[in-house]
Order: sequence, then C-alpha cells, then structure tokens
Amino acid sequence: MAAISVDTLRKTFGRGAGVVTALDDVSFDVGDGEFFCLLGPSGAGKTTTLKSIAGLVEPDKGAVRIGGQDVADVEPTHRNLAMCFESYALYPQHNVFDNMASPLRSPRLRMPAADVRSRVGRIADMLGIGHLLDRSVTQLSNGQRQRVALGRVLVRPAHAYLLDEPLAHLDAKLRATMRAELKAISTDGLTTTVYVTHDYVEALSLADRIGVLREGRILQVGTPREMWASPANAFVAQAFGKPRINMLAGGLRTSRDHASTSESASSGLGRSAPRDGTHAFVAGGVEIPLRDIDAPPGESVQLAVRPRDLRLHVGAGDPPPGKVRLDGVVYVLEHLGRQTEVTVQIGESLVSVVAPRAAVPTLALDDKVGVLIDPSTTHVFLSGEEGKRVSP
Amino acid sequence: MTTPTSTRPTAKKRLTGAVANTALLAYFAFSLIPVAFIIALSLKTNSEQTTTYLSFTPTFENYSTVLGLDGGGSSYLRFFGASLITSIGAVLVSLLIGIPAAYAAARHRFKGSENLMFTLLSFRFAPELIVIIPLSVIYQQLGLYDTFFGMIWVLQLVTMPLVVWILRSFFRDLPVELEQAALLDGYTRRQAFLKLVLPLVRPGIAAVCLLAFIFAWNNFIFPFTLTSSNAQTVTVSSLAFLGGNQVRFNLVAAGAVMAALPPLVLALLIQRYLVRGLSFGAVKD
Amino acid sequence: MTVTAAPARRRDDDEVRPEALQTAPTVSRRRRALRPYLLAVPAVLLCVGILYPFFLGVAYTFYNFSDANPQPSFVGWENYTALFTSGSFWHSVQVTLMFAVVATGVETVLGVGVALLLNRSSWVGRIFERALIVPLMVAPIIAAIMWKLLLLPEVGWVRPVAEGLGFAGYSGTDSAAWAFIWSVVVDVWIYTPFVAILALAGLRSLPSSPFEAAAVDGARWWLTFRRLTLPMLWPYLLVAVIFRLMDCLKVFDIIYGLTTGGPGDATTTLQINAYLEAISYARYSRGVTYMFILWIAVYVISMILVRYLNKIQSRSAGV
Repeated sequence: MAAISVDTLRKTFGRGAGVVTALDDVSFDVGDGEFFCLLGPSGAGKTTTLKSIAGLVEPDKGAVRIGGQDVADVEPTHRNLAMCFESYALYPQHNVFDNMASPLRSPRLRMPAADVRSRVGRIADMLGIGHLLDRSVTQLSNGQRQRVALGRVLVRPAHAYLLDEPLAHLDAKLRATMRAELKAISTDGLTTTVYVTHDYVEALSLADRIGVLREGRILQVGTPREMWASPANAFVAQAFGKPRINMLAGGLRTSRDHASTSESASSGLGRSAPRDGTHAFVAGGVEIPLRDIDAPPGESVQLAVRPRDLRLHVGAGDPPPGKVRLDGVVYVLEHLGRQTEVTVQIGESLVSVVAPRAAVPTLALDDKVGVLIDPSTTHVFLSGEEGKRVSP
Repeated sequence: MTTPTSTRPTAKKRLTGAVANTALLAYFAFSLIPVAFIIALSLKTNSEQTTTYLSFTPTFENYSTVLGLDGGGSSYLRFFGASLITSIGAVLVSLLIGIPAAYAAARHRFKGSENLMFTLLSFRFAPELIVIIPLSVIYQQLGLYDTFFGMIWVLQLVTMPLVVWILRSFFRDLPVELEQAALLDGYTRRQAFLKLVLPLVRPGIAAVCLLAFIFAWNNFIFPFTLTSSNAQTVTVSSLAFLGGNQVRFNLVAAGAVMAALPPLVLALLIQRYLVRGLSFGAVKD
Repeated sequence: MTVTAAPARRRDDDEVRPEALQTAPTVSRRRRALRPYLLAVPAVLLCVGILYPFFLGVAYTFYNFSDANPQPSFVGWENYTALFTSGSFWHSVQVTLMFAVVATGVETVLGVGVALLLNRSSWVGRIFERALIVPLMVAPIIAAIMWKLLLLPEVGWVRPVAEGLGFAGYSGTDSAAWAFIWSVVVDVWIYTPFVAILALAGLRSLPSSPFEAAAVDGARWWLTFRRLTLPMLWPYLLVAVIFRLMDCLKVFDIIYGLTTGGPGDATTTLQINAYLEAISYARYSRGVTYMFILWIAVYVISMILVRYLNKIQSRSAGV
C-alpha cells in the first residue's frame, strides 16, 4: 500500500500533423489505501494515465510518485503494482490457475506453492470462478475472462491496484454483483486502488474520490458527494446521472428586473414566485431567482437541474411557495417500472423529469403540464461545454 | 463464398462444373506431368532413356550410382552435405540476429526501424550479382571463397529478410498488453520475452525456419558463383551433371529428384503458414 | 510498544512496503530509449556487412576493373556511356522487360483462375490442392533442368506430343522464339502456384455477405467478379504481382539452366548478361554496371509498388 501522486503528466502520440495529445497536464493524488476512480468518456486518456502510473507508457513530461518516491526510472517490473487490463491480457497458453498464479510465482515474489494454491483458490472462489481453475483461458466467456484478469490482480500484495474497466464486459446482473463484491473488498482492504471506468454508477458507488477526465485533462477531483452536489463545470454535471441533468440556456439579470418577470408571468408563459435574490436566470420569458451567483448580470449561462429534482405540476393553480413553474407539453413518456421518465417540451428545449408512476397516472402525450423547479436544487454554469460553475 | 444451392442442379450448372473440373485437371496435368517425367526418367536404364517413353522396367540403379553406393565413387553426398550445412547455418544465424531485430521493429517505432526493414526487403529484391561481383573479390582476399562460412554469410541475403519480415508480423499479432501484464506480474523484460512471447510465436518461428531453409537450399546463384568444390551445393552440382561429354540424362534426373526432395517434404509441414511466409508477412491466412 | 487494535490487514507482506521501491533497480531514461537499438544492432551490423560489398560494387562502376586490368583505374562515367551505347545492353533490357511482363501477366491471370477454380469445392480441387505447391518448392534451377530434359528431343516427352499434334521439326529450345517461350513457360510452371496461393488466401478471407447479396440480386458471374471479387482481391494480388515482377526482372536460374541465355543472345536477360560480362569474360566493372542499373530500376519500381500497396492495405483495413 502506498500513496500515488500524479504530477502534471503530459503525453502525446504520433508525429507531425497527426499528433494527438493523450494527456495534458494531468495531476491528482491518491491517498494511501484510497479507492480513486477515474471517470471519463472513451478517448479521455484514462488508460494512458493508468499505464503511465504502471510505467508501461513513458510520459513526455511530469512525474509519478509512489509512496512519495519518483518512479520515473523504476521499471514496471519493480513498481509492484497490479493491473487489470481492459483487454484482460490473459496468457493464452496457460489455464486459469496459472494465469492467476503468475504474479505470485514471479521472480519478484517466488511464493511457496502451497501459499499460491490457497491464495488463488480463495480469490477464485470469491470471484465465482473456482470451478474453472483447470480450464484454458481460451475456452472462457468474456465475463469469465474478465474475472480471471481481476483475480490475477486481487491475489497479490501490491502498492496499488490499477483496474481498467474491470466490469465493462460483464452482463448487467453480474456487473451489479461484482460491483458489490469490489465494494466489500475496497472497504475492508487497504490497498490503494485506481479504478478506471466510463460508468458513473460504478464511480459513485465504489470511489472514495473521483477524478473526471476529458480529452486528457482532469476537470474535477472530489468525493462522490461533491461531484454530485457541486460539479465544477457543465461537463462534470452531465457526466453523472441518468437521465442526464437538464441544461437550460439563458442569461443572468439582477433581481431588480422583477417587474419584467411579472409581465411575462401575466403573458402566460410562466409564473414565478418572487424571492429575494441577487440574480435571476432568464430564458424565454421565464425567470428563476438565484442567490450568490459569481458572475456579472448579462452573462449568458446555463441552468442545470437534475430530472429527479423536478416535479410535475398538472392542472391549474399557483405553484407551491419557493418554486417556479414552467409550462410545457409532454413530448415523450417512458414508464420504467415504478418510475416514469417524462420529457417535457418547454419552448425550444426538452426537459426530463423523473416522477413516481403514481403521480402521473393519466398523463398522455401532448398534454399540457407544468414543471416545478426548486431554485435551491439548481446549478448555474457559464455557457459552453465546460462552462464554469458560478452558483455556490 | 456460398451460393444458394437449389435441390436439383440444372443442366447448365452441371456443364459449368464439368468445364471447371476439366480446366483444373488440365492445369494440374501441366503442373505435375514434368514431375512425373523426371521421376520416370530417373528410374530408366541407360538404354531405355532414349528408346521408350512410358513402358520400361523401373530401377533404382541411377540413384545408387549418383550416391556412389555402387562403389563407383561420387561426390553427390558431399554436395548434399554442403547444402545441409550452409542452409542450416544460414537459418541459425538469421534467427539469432533476426529475432531481436524483428521484435524491436514490431514493438518499438524507433528512428530508423522502417529504414532497417526496407533495407532488408531491398536485399530480397536486389539482383544478386550486384553483391556477388564485389563479394567474390573480397572473398578471394579474405580466403572465404568456397568456404561454408562464406556461403552462410552471403545466404543471409536470402534468409534474413524472410526471417525478420515474417517474424515481425507474428510479433505484431501478439497483443502488447500480454507483455505488459507479465512485467507488472514481476517478470523482467527479458523473462517476459523468453517465457511468454517466444513460446507464443513458436509456430511462427518453426514455419519461418523451414521456409528460410527451403529458400537457402534452393538457392543457386550464390554457390554457383562463390564456391568451386568444398562448399558446392546440390543445386550447382545438379547443373554440373548436365555438362561434360557423355551426359547420362537418367543420372541427372536422379540427382535432380533427390535435390528437390528435402524442400518438398518440409513444405508439407508448413502449409498453414505458407501464405504469410511467401508474402513476407504481407498477407495473413 | 503499545498493543492496540490495529485494523485487520488483509495484506501482510513486507513486500508491499513503499520503502522497497527505494531499493528497486533503476534504468535511466537514456538506457530505456536505447533498448530497441540494442536489439537491432546485430541486424544493422549484418546490413552493413552486406552493404559494404554493395557500395564497393557501385564504386567499381566508375573504375575499369577486369582480369585484363586487375588494378582498378578510375574512368568516370565511361562504363555507363559504353553500356548505353551498346546494343547488347539494350537487347537484354528488351528481353528482360518482355520476360517480366509476359511471365507476370500469364502467372497472374492463370493463378487467379486456378484460385477461383479451387475455391469452388470440387473433387479435383480436393485431390490436387495439396500438390499445388510442388513446383514452387522445387529449386528454380532444378525446375529448369527438369524442363530442359523434358524438352530434349532425345529423352523428353514434348517431342512425341508435338509430332503427334503435327508440328514437324520440333527442336526444343534451339530457336530464338521457342527458347523465349519455353523460358516463360518454366517461370509460369514454377510461380503460378505462388499467385494462386495468395489469391486463394484472399478469396477465402472475403466476407460472404456481399456475395450473397449479389447472388440474391441475380448478378451475373462476370459482373460479380469484376465489381466485387476483383476489387476486394486486389490487395492480395498486388502483393503477388510485386513479388513476381521484381523476381522476373532479375531472373537468372531458370534461364541459365534452360538456355544459358541462348541461342545466341535470344534469352540473355540483364542478370545473365551481367554474369557473362563479370564471370565469363572477367570484366567486373562492366558486369556490376549492368547490375547497378537494374538495381536502381528494381528499387524505384518496388518503392512505388510497395507504397501503393500500403495505401491499398490501409484503405481496405479501414473499411
């Protein structure tokens, strides 16, 4: 176990016109024993980061420290890290047992045969592949291979585990089981782990802290709670949650423009509940009061609100105090078990709302419906894909 | 390619099939009759060789004469041995030098790696005499003319490009992450190469060995120009049989058959890798 | 020492202490960058060992060096001007080009034909497919000897066939035209399997869905072949054509074994001519000049073809 520190890593591939920047000053610290998730879309540089830590990719610039020591000149063989590859990288000529035993038998560890057997057996049973130990890895399904690859990591002591999408190729049910299994390991185990995934659910459920990576840059590092509650920019906000967080483009005004709000309210486009606030978000004649916005009036911004923070308001009547009602029509209706995902068209934009099914029993397409926003659950970002957070 | 098969082949289809089979038979007749001819000739006696075509009493006399088994004395076995020594030697040297180079070229895009590969390929395509003429002068000076060492050295022109190009394609087929996994498991680069990579490309190495051996064995121009007796190979001696005043064609035939046999036998062992081998790794089967 | 309830450590090996890293062996960046070069050093040395005689040969082209003149003397471009004004040189250029184009053309067409026939499974194919490579594995010089015997009026099987078909006065390779034709035939005999093997590999790797679609569309065979099979087969064929063309330009064994360049100079290709100049007449400079010019031609042509091949292969890989 050891802390890992990644310091301004930079890596480009290719030469001349075809040069691609894979990592662009990536920095983050993983504490000793911490479970750290790197989350990002494909091509973000997650695997390159992981391989740089392992020493398999030589960064152009920057440093990797393990237990405080710069390991630039330490070969992967001697870094004492265990890695689970997305491609599994199982040795095709060996059976499952020999694959998992490989790190234990290596010249670095040279573990006695009896210890090897018991360790491999224990981990294999835990992963549900105990009955496959004699099987050749070429005969396994992808899900089984993935577990063997994970097992080859978990059997061994290491300064850190580097896991590259270790659950990606499992079917949904197995993935949930394995996630729980990994969760259990990570809570009672003390091995530092860097876990790469494109699945925000894995990141939120497993990680002590998450780093969001995009196009070779770290956009934000924080605990799952922080990432969810106060995403640093619009991209991070959209990286978590399904359906995706709603983004409404608009502008900022100071709150003295209340008068105009009343006008628009009377014109029937929306009704607002005036509140004290220094700013208001304005779009298409709707105004939503906001507090403590760190941007000047007139700035174009996007207002983000999660589908589960919205409520449907069917029929007439004033919105409850403190909420803002937006009027629209039902555009798409998807019943998903006990919940219903309603896409409402408001002006030009589509807004997703997740509501309990019981709350919308009679709703049909093209019905007029109101959407209630609680301004305290909104996030405000400057415009742009990575618009900076300006709400508190 | 699958074509939908109707339950009853139409007359037209049957006709196409017959024409196709006839054409294929005609090609294989063209391809195999010369072989049948040379075998037949090698089994004829002196008097039969010019008087009959197909009706004769086969005899292995010519083979024992060529091999010197009838006590007449023959250097054929010596030529055969020289072919073996130079071919095997050339393959071994090529493997020893070529495996690391092929591995480096497959795994690292280092400066000059493509130049090295193209230089090797250009050896394959270069007219041999451009090297032979100056080399014969150098060999005379260094005393390498008509030696096994000299032959093994110059045969690298034949075997080395083959070994490096084909093995590079085999190494490239191997995912680099396998080796990376071995490194993280605690094996050094050398151990990962010897214990993991080499066993996995063993079929490729075996195929390339046999193919390189065949091409070295079949080579004619190098031993023809750079040897005279000590290191002379069967290909050269087979032609020499044709010279002289009293040519015995049946003996020439027997010598040719025996010289052609080793490559043919080996080729049957590597049919699977023949496509990749013959195309220098450009085409994979 | 205080005894406290330490968290239960799942991993208890000394091995995992970070301090172990401080004693880990290191390899400097320079050394790491050098690694691939070290692996290639022996091969590079070998290349140098081959390139040295090559460059020595190129140097000879500017000297007068022969048995008659064993101390090489510098003559500038004299060897080249002598060559370009010699009828013998241009004659062998002509013979070589004719040979290369005709042989490569026939082998390609015949090889593709054989591959197509073998690809539609039939009893003939099943029986003979393994025998396809026989001519290819026989040494070219041995093949030439076989054919020389086959064509010999005294012992060969060609004369009775020719006479049976009504060709009176069969003379083997004694006439200029026939010597050339038979040389091409021997080359075709050896190397058609080479083209066929590559083409067959190509045919067998083609996806079946477009062909099924074409069959459903009722496309004519010829149309399917020209529009679908041939374009998809082209990368494979190109490899075969490159190898055949390059090898034909430097053909030696087959012609030397069959005709020794004769009758007269009817089949004297460039490399045969160089051999005669350098080895038979011991005019080294003259011979090596022949070869250097051929080498330049081969190098340029192969560069162009290989570049074209790379383009095609990367294009078909992208599809």
